[in-house]
Amino acid sequence: MKNSDNYISEIRPHDSSYKHVSGTAEYTDDIKEPYDTLFGAIGWSKKAYAKIKKIDLNEVINSEGVVSVVNYLDIPGRNDVGPVFDGDPIFVKDKVEFFGQPIFAVAATSIELARKAVLKAKINYIEYEPIITLKDSLDKKNLLFDVRKITKGNAQKKILSSKHTLKGNFTTGSQEHFYLEGQVAFVIPKEDNEMTVYSSTQHPSETQQLIAKMLNQKSNSITVLVRRIGGGFGGKETNFMTAAICSLLAYKTKKPVKLRLDRDDDIILTGKRHEFFSDYEVGFDDKGIIKGLKIKLASKCGMSPDLSYAINERALLHIDNAYYLSDLQVENYLCKTNTSTSTAFRGFGGNQGMMAIENIIDNISRFLNKDPLEVRKNNFYKKNKKNITHYGMKIQDNIINELFEKLVQDAKYLKRKNEIKKFNIKNKIKKKGIAITPVKFGISFTTIHLNQAGALVHVYTDGSVYLNHGGIEMGQGTHTKIAQVVANSLGLPYEKVKISSTNTAKVPNTSASAASSTTDLNAAAALNATFKIKKNLEKFIKDKYKIFSKEEPIYKNESIIFGNRSFEFKKIVMEAYLSRVSLSSSGFYSTPKIKFNKKKFTGRPFYYFCYGAAVSEVTIDTLTGENILERVDILHDAGNAINPAIEFGQIEGGFVQGQGWLTMEEVKWNDNGQITTFSPSTYKIPAVSDIPKKFNVEIYKKGKNVEDVVNKSKTTGEPPLMLAMSVFFAIKDAISSVSNYKKIPKLDAPATAENILLSIKELKKN
Amino acid sequence: MNSNKVQFIYENKLIELDNPDPNQTILNFIRDKLKKTGTKEGCAEGGCGACTIVLGELENKKIKYKAINSCISFTPTLHGKQLIVVENLVSKNGSYHPVQEAMAKYHASQCGFCTPGFVMSIFAMSKNRKKNNEDDIKDAISGNLCRCTGYRPIIDAAKNLKKTYFDEFYKNSKKTINLLKKIHSKSIIIENKNKKYFAPKTIGELKKVIQKNPDSDFLSGGTDLSLKVTKDRKEIKKIINLNNIKELNFIKIKNNEIIFGSTTPLIEVEKFILKYYPDFNNILRRYGSVQIRNVGTIGGNIATASPIGDTLPLLLSLNAKIIIQTKNGDRQIYLNKFFIKYRKTKLKKGEFIKSIIIPIYKNHNFKAYKISKRFDDDISSVCASFNLKIKDQRIQDVTIAYGGMAEIPKRAKNCENFLKNSKFSEDIFEKAKNLLKKDFNPISDMRASKNYRLEVAENLLIKFFIETKTKKLFRVYQ
Repeated sequence: MKNSDNYISEIRPHDSSYKHVSGTAEYTDDIKEPYDTLFGAIGWSKKAYAKIKKIDLNEVINSEGVVSVVNYLDIPGRNDVGPVFDGDPIFVKDKVEFFGQPIFAVAATSIELARKAVLKAKINYIEYEPIITLKDSLDKKNLLFDVRKITKGNAQKKILSSKHTLKGNFTTGSQEHFYLEGQVAFVIPKEDNEMTVYSSTQHPSETQQLIAKMLNQKSNSITVLVRRIGGGFGGKETNFMTAAICSLLAYKTKKPVKLRLDRDDDIILTGKRHEFFSDYEVGFDDKGIIKGLKIKLASKCGMSPDLSYAINERALLHIDNAYYLSDLQVENYLCKTNTSTSTAFRGFGGNQGMMAIENIIDNISRFLNKDPLEVRKNNFYKKNKKNITHYGMKIQDNIINELFEKLVQDAKYLKRKNEIKKFNIKNKIKKKGIAITPVKFGISFTTIHLNQAGALVHVYTDGSVYLNHGGIEMGQGTHTKIAQVVANSLGLPYEKVKISSTNTAKVPNTSASAASSTTDLNAAAALNATFKIKKNLEKFIKDKYKIFSKEEPIYKNESIIFGNRSFEFKKIVMEAYLSRVSLSSSGFYSTPKIKFNKKKFTGRPFYYFCYGAAVSEVTIDTLTGENILERVDILHDAGNAINPAIEFGQIEGGFVQGQGWLTMEEVKWNDNGQITTFSPSTYKIPAVSDIPKKFNVEIYKKGKNVEDVVNKSKTTGEPPLMLAMSVFFAIKDAISSVSNYKKIPKLDAPATAENILLSIKELKKN
Repeated sequence: MNSNKVQFIYENKLIELDNPDPNQTILNFIRDKLKKTGTKEGCAEGGCGACTIVLGELENKKIKYKAINSCISFTPTLHGKQLIVVENLVSKNGSYHPVQEAMAKYHASQCGFCTPGFVMSIFAMSKNRKKNNEDDIKDAISGNLCRCTGYRPIIDAAKNLKKTYFDEFYKNSKKTINLLKKIHSKSIIIENKNKKYFAPKTIGELKKVIQKNPDSDFLSGGTDLSLKVTKDRKEIKKIINLNNIKELNFIKIKNNEIIFGSTTPLIEVEKFILKYYPDFNNILRRYGSVQIRNVGTIGGNIATASPIGDTLPLLLSLNAKIIIQTKNGDRQIYLNKFFIKYRKTKLKKGEFIKSIIIPIYKNHNFKAYKISKRFDDDISSVCASFNLKIKDQRIQDVTIAYGGMAEIPKRAKNCENFLKNSKFSEDIFEKAKNLLKKDFNPISDMRASKNYRLEVAENLLIKFFIETKTKKLFRVYQ
């Protein structure tokens, strides 16, 4: 089937918008509980690395309202929720590996009583010396996997023969997801040990499988349902412990159980973004063109592998961002620490890889006393040459050169840069900075088999349509967009298509809603199902009404126009039903063309690339490090957007989330491994006054996906996060002005007021 | 006469609760008892705004609408008010409120979990003022976190409200006012299992309650006290709510001094003080969200005695005094003498703050600065306040105080002594800043390192000098 006909571009509110604003949208915690529902709470480790010497749960058991207490001994099957590798025990047996690791759980008659009860455990530990920081772990070579080495050409030789070389290191910090709805599950046991699981997850199928393995049951006995989740951002892609523990409590008590982590527990217990450290040596010419690059890339993975291998792989695959690297040598270290496991987070390592190269480019520019704009352009991938990535993929959809140039013009970058220089000469305390950065982000799961999706579509005899697919609605509007394309494909008004909860009993073996691929994959599967129903209808019409036209039927205005005749959709489906024609179908999709050899690190891991660029202008206070984002101009490629309003939301929201990552959000642990930023009073995500004072966002009008993606659109899930790189480099530019642009500031991310002031101080010192 | 009944208006009806649990939050009451799940728990500490509800209160024969965090307010404090939750904004015929319409139309929700809170914050804003500019809007939602949208569409929605002021609540206001008037005005005494709650009406009654229950906790705004329940999972056995005592909630000017009753909400302090000390107003805008400033009180901030309480360095540098009610009458004490050590004050058991007295300095230079990770709703890493009088190019009088630099909010005595009677000049200030190391030995924590705190403290002194000298402001948030 070709998706090449009937493109739409239709602004429409999110399917649940009126339910959101009136408080009637139902989230997992809002589901009305049966009268005998119990409430869970998790008891967790107060040490980062220790052996449990003695555990006394008597007071917990006897605490008011407690009905059941479970630990690892109560698990009939696999005591692990690691999605790819083992390493994430549901309950610790004897060795704890991070502060916050679950040891036991209770079910009680109320949530307050459950939470009070878990505090009464008496646990004695034999403490070991924990490894908390990335640096410590790297120094001690405390690695989760063997060092991964990527080599293209001969970087060492090229560096030696380059006119200029630079060395340095760079860190980007961790980040807490801070989805507004915390981790929550609600499990209802049914007959034959079946379980109905409501869970706030991006990955219902894996939730289902892991619960089945934990209970030693078949997957077909577990059904996971998700209508919507209150934000995910990768934080609910794995993190299966909540649903698993909730299911275990329900299994043990034979009663419905709800388990909701409060905010503190959510931050203490569950994973975050990987901190990355890079150490590099680069050789380049007078134009700043990179001749050879050697880079060590280390990440803080926490206590378990979780998705760290794939996340680091994406970092390696994005170490080029939009730049051609002829000779490259990368060493990748996956460092184990006694902290909660680092996990998926919008960007999935890609953003960390891109920041590493952007920082190198920025430093080259400052070294050569050139506008970073020029050096960026000089290094860009070109259309017909310099178009092979370091993993051997030929880039066939490159638009970064023209997109970038358009934004330089639209945002009046050069004029403003001059004005800023003048401002900085006149002003001592306040300094301004400006930067433009590009984004090239690869779309597809790099684990190839995940690039598949299923859907289920029913047409009822009244002409209404029921739509189900494997994608999770987490705010990104995937349900709205998929309903839009299905309605469009059937020539029906959007309202005729019923959006339904994601349900493992309806569409099986789904992939996580992740990798920006949810709509691409699931809309294609839904269209495949729709296509099959349409074929049934068309055959029926052809046979009954003797239509011999070779022209394709047209679905429009609730009618099917076929061979010069028009059939009202509602009537014709009833006729088809009476003639015993199937009006229901499953659909399936798998992404074509992709192939990747992980061992050799070569192939085509991505179906296509998303492009974008942003210009940011900041003002910093050189006495305090305080800063403000004065203006941002974004030009982003969304292909032929299905629903531009939703794409704008993703672009702006992703940008602000990236801004938080690079400027203000700081996850901190103390020396004994206790996280100290575990609530909104200590962990700050951007609030309303942080967003750019002027915010100009445009979708690239010429954008069109060259590949056969639904509606010729491009996803906007993760890529916009990286547009915020421009904020960081604008701050660096402002700092550099303190030295009259003569020195390269040392600035790590996040560029907090404190880090900015420190950087200025160092700059003045040298 | 006392009553054990808590009465409030909900959905145009008078609701009465007999001896409700004094430790139950309004959020849990709404979700568990009223079975309305539109109001969400995001953090249980008043830091994200997902739980925002609006309380209607009768003030000067009109209903004033206040957005509050229901997750850190206790159910008995509903007494005398109209409770409005997000579901109530949809009218009986099913039509959406203009705020809801605008939020949907401008694509202001994505995952939707924070949305009810935003709707309620914007609703309260639009009900209290007919016209709101972008700053008003940003202030109104500064305590609501959204992780999806990037806020721009929410601001757009709030800018494009249609006929919000004259909505159903306006049409019903007469009826609501009549209902509010029906609510009993007795003092409240609640006994619920082992827990007690008192809401006396007069200082006289309060004294008696304290005498009989000396081991009680005072509830003023409750934004700090409630965390014992919602975060520490402890019980507060006895609560005395001070907010029903009119004698403690007032603002007046006497003898060139501003006097605030101790339970005056910070939002009122902020409005009043703008004329006298614009920077005091600036800092209060950033003290916390509207939801917090609506309930948090100036007396509460002082009695909590946090080293990072934002009003404290300002009050210290303004030589504020407080009046304490003791067993034997009133006692006046300079705030400078009030703080003993970390969260310890000279308040003895059973004593409470009655009022705060702030001198009005006419020819002084008063400036204050707050350094935090985030502009909105954040706790200071350093807060600095300067009060300086210059005569003939010499420093005649100077008071400097810092928050976040010691275990208590504290004056910079060494620095002050050096500056006093010195020339008002750059090199004097450059020398003075080095004395801050003698005055303070700050700690490193999750908000800032020791070195940063010290350096910023020094730089703020210099900034104060430059701003005073040039009569210009050099701030990024302008």
